[in-house]
Amino acid sequence: MTALEDAQEEVKPDMTPMIDVVFLMIIFFICIDFKVLESKLPAYLPKDKGSNPNKVDPQEQLSIKVYVDKVGTPEYPAGVDKNSVNINTGRAYRFKLKDHKIRWEVGPKPFGTLAEVEAELVRIAKDPNSQVADDKHPGQKKLMSCVIEAYPGTYYDDVAKTADAAHNAKFEEINFGGGLGAKK
Amino acid sequence: MDVSKLVQQNIEMDMTPMIDCVFLLMIFFVLVIDLSQKNLEDLILPRAVFQEPDDKPPENRPIINVLQNGSVVYNQKVIYDPAVHKTDYRPIKQLLLDIRADGINKKTLKLVEENIGGRMVSLIDDPILIRADKWTEWNYIGEIMKQCSMPEIAFWKVELAMSEQDKETGEKNKKLTGGAK
Repeated sequence: MTALEDAQEEVKPDMTPMIDVVFLMIIFFICIDFKVLESKLPAYLPKDKGSNPNKVDPQEQLSIKVYVDKVGTPEYPAGVDKNSVNINTGRAYRFKLKDHKIRWEVGPKPFGTLAEVEAELVRIAKDPNSQVADDKHPGQKKLMSCVIEAYPGTYYDDVAKTADAAHNAKFEEINFGGGLGAKK
Repeated sequence: MDVSKLVQQNIEMDMTPMIDCVFLLMIFFVLVIDLSQKNLEDLILPRAVFQEPDDKPPENRPIINVLQNGSVVYNQKVIYDPAVHKTDYRPIKQLLLDIRADGINKKTLKLVEENIGGRMVSLIDDPILIRADKWTEWNYIGEIMKQCSMPEIAFWKVELAMSEQDKETGEKNKKLTGGAK
């Protein structure tokens, strides 16, 4: 082997490690995308349901009602409908809901957008009249609780966004009204 | 270059591909194990801006998934299907009773006795997570919460799963996109 041949051999770059690293990075970023951080909304349910024969004083709480204006249209991927099953997952295909519209009532006031609801909740939270006696700490006051009452035809997204707005306004006790049934 | 030197050069092993394969396998198994333990269905959660991140979930926390059609899935098994069970919610109640009994037996769920209105009630003091798709009717989630609050079940701490990113629309919270909150 001549010196010239040796020199020619040395300049050949080995692409294998670079390709391997690129693959590793692709996998890493794909995985990061899948593992979107989840958050949680803690909700505390009544502890005394069906077990307390004693009468208790009704607690003052803010009612936030969520109504449906337009139910919306489910939009499935092309070629499938609501009865189609994805053979890979064994589950029904997911749809996107189009033209779904809701409205709110915070106390007696009606609102058409989430931004308005957020502003109203912040205003109520700052109002000194919204403070009620704190049962756990006698002599102290706390912000009244709020109850989100979702009417038939509302979706988890509607309630979640409303709860998020209440949390933003510093409401700590967020309750959920139930028993309003499924959409007709 | 004599023959013995050539032979010596040939038996040198290149470890790079093997190490790469090991890394790939590690990533694969970490993900597979992680997903199976979390019992997470492939759902698109609603985006929440102001909720607390669920970055250190308790290992013993039961997770109930609710699909778009209202089906309740636990450990990848459909427990309640609205098309089949309609308004018969007994499978959900039975599931919660089983989770409670199993958690108490295995000591993975903490039970506390509390005096409520002069009566001792056994409450589960650990949370239960409800994961639902953003386009799941609230009625189904409300029904699970109603069952959770029954005195014989008494899961009084319920957590609703949300996400920092809406995977349907691509909207992200500002802190994920690098902006101020």
